[in-house]
Amino acid sequence: MARIVLEKVTKTFGTAEVIPPLDLTIEDGEFTVFVGPSGCGKSTLLRLIAGLEETTSGRVLIDGGDVTEVSPSKRGLAMVFQTYALYPHMTVRKNIAFPMRMAGLSQAEQDQRVEVAAESLNLTDYLDRKPAQLSGGQRQRVAIGRAIVRDPSAFLFDEPLSNLDAALRVGMRVEITEMHARMKTTMIYVTHDQVEAMTMADRIVVLRAGVIEQVGTPLELYRTPRNTFVAGFIGSPKMNLLEGSEARKHGAHTLGIRPEHIDVVDSGGLWSGTVGVAEHLGSDTFFHVHDTGLTEKLMVRAVGDVALRHGDKIHLNPRTHELHRFDAAGLRMP
Amino acid sequence: MSDRRLPRLLQTPAVVLLLIWMIVPLSMTLFFSFIRYVLNSLRRPEWTEPSLSNWRGFGNYNYVLNNNDFLLAVQNSLLIVCSIVLLTVILGVLIAVLINKAFPGRSIVRVLLISPFFVMPAVNAVLWINMILDPVLGLQGLAVEGLNGTLQNLRAAPGIGWFFSLWPELQPISFRATQTSAYAVIIMVTWQWTPFAVLIFMTSLQSEDQQQKEAAVLDGAGVWSQFRFLTLPHLSRPIAIVVMIQAIFHLSLYAEIEIVSRGNGNKNLPYLIGEFANNNIGAASATGIFAVILANIIAIFLLRMIGKTLME
Repeated sequence: MARIVLEKVTKTFGTAEVIPPLDLTIEDGEFTVFVGPSGCGKSTLLRLIAGLEETTSGRVLIDGGDVTEVSPSKRGLAMVFQTYALYPHMTVRKNIAFPMRMAGLSQAEQDQRVEVAAESLNLTDYLDRKPAQLSGGQRQRVAIGRAIVRDPSAFLFDEPLSNLDAALRVGMRVEITEMHARMKTTMIYVTHDQVEAMTMADRIVVLRAGVIEQVGTPLELYRTPRNTFVAGFIGSPKMNLLEGSEARKHGAHTLGIRPEHIDVVDSGGLWSGTVGVAEHLGSDTFFHVHDTGLTEKLMVRAVGDVALRHGDKIHLNPRTHELHRFDAAGLRMP
Repeated sequence: MSDRRLPRLLQTPAVVLLLIWMIVPLSMTLFFSFIRYVLNSLRRPEWTEPSLSNWRGFGNYNYVLNNNDFLLAVQNSLLIVCSIVLLTVILGVLIAVLINKAFPGRSIVRVLLISPFFVMPAVNAVLWINMILDPVLGLQGLAVEGLNGTLQNLRAAPGIGWFFSLWPELQPISFRATQTSAYAVIIMVTWQWTPFAVLIFMTSLQSEDQQQKEAAVLDGAGVWSQFRFLTLPHLSRPIAIVVMIQAIFHLSLYAEIEIVSRGNGNKNLPYLIGEFANNNIGAASATGIFAVILANIIAIFLLRMIGKTLME
């Protein structure tokens, strides 16, 4: 259990400032997701918390104690890496036991904790195998097991699911979320995938170029994005951002409307256009609508299968109370 | 199966050539080892022709086994090979780990470290035995002389002189002597081959997974534990390769032994073969067959070891 506070933390590599002064508080037991495009400094931020990178200035506090100068192993944090970082010549059992072996725990204690961790992660049958003999998902579970046995005050995940295929990723997402619900330990999770962020997080921190764009619960970010970057980043498919006359009509520089907030009507809609690509998923249909006079391509999501094909004329009605207005600086207008 | 016929046909010339390359010398050696065959004999001129009529059976083998130098040569071969391999692997790992860290001038240091490997073996031996290890004119002689001079001065010093008079004077070691010439060979070949080990270990260290190290740091592993549990296992394969290549090379050491002591008390198997071959080709061939057997025994052990590391 840990409350992690970053105070005016900065990081520069040479002359490049990766993280300008940044303040952030991660509450005890919270599942926080750092999300942002690649190169936004989210992994660096995680490594600063872990102690794998030194802060250029500022302080890192865990449960009120200043750990800025404390070595990584003494911070009581466990980290799961994107490449799993398992020790290839050790069996699964030895991999999981490694941190306890380093801490000098008794063999009996080690065995017992490995058994418990293996049980909870469905790894009991694989304990005597080497990492090379495991699938990607199993390797990731071993990495998580190695983190669990340390009984850390917080877990740090660095894009742990990026190397897994889509189906496994969904499964592991659920497992990690359930693990958090069970253990109630502070977790910080770094990803570039906004779906992972939305589905797993208690709180999301959206980063761009080392700057926090917005912090909030997934639905706060979805409903009231603070600026056009967050608006475009959170939600799938992306929010339509319209500039020009339609925006000016609503007294804004940029007008945002999510694809799911545009209704397809038979006739007499506010907007109309030609269907480009139509993605029929059965449960939903995504239309790429062109020639609306609003923007080059308008994304529209209709529930169920709507029988419109490529080249068909489409009539649309935006839900006016779901419109987001942004000013010239890209900030949300009330 | 028929689609394999063409590739096999195309491989055949190379395979046949290699087979002849191996079979002809081996069978000739085998043949010579069973006959009386000398280069010069005034008393028995018929022995100077290799022919079946000079058949000696296992006589040559008996002669070699009863030769005083044979057992010594086998022991010496093993001593030299094992010592060099052990020393180069230990030094190689230590130096490779040391220069794997970034420091100013690292690329120059690397080039300098590799350079001994480009010195010719004979030149290497001449340099070491005359310029460094020589008890009078070499660095060793000069160092011993200097230290003894300092000792003399300290003995003459008032007050503390009595303490230094308890110290013995240093004696320079003659590395051409019977007992020490093998050590001279071990020292100079280790110097020459350590760069080879360093080179191989260095490239391997560069492929070491950095995230594994970071994970180990978070798991509480110190520098020693990281070396013991991550780096050494990572190096097991290159170590096996270095051991195998060096064992093959150093079983056939010749130039260094010739230059250091002319084989005086320091023969290895190739040198013994060379000595026999001055006249007695039959005995030389029999020794050669023993050398082949020894090399095969070592090769079996090495292949087992390497097979095990490569399987993992």
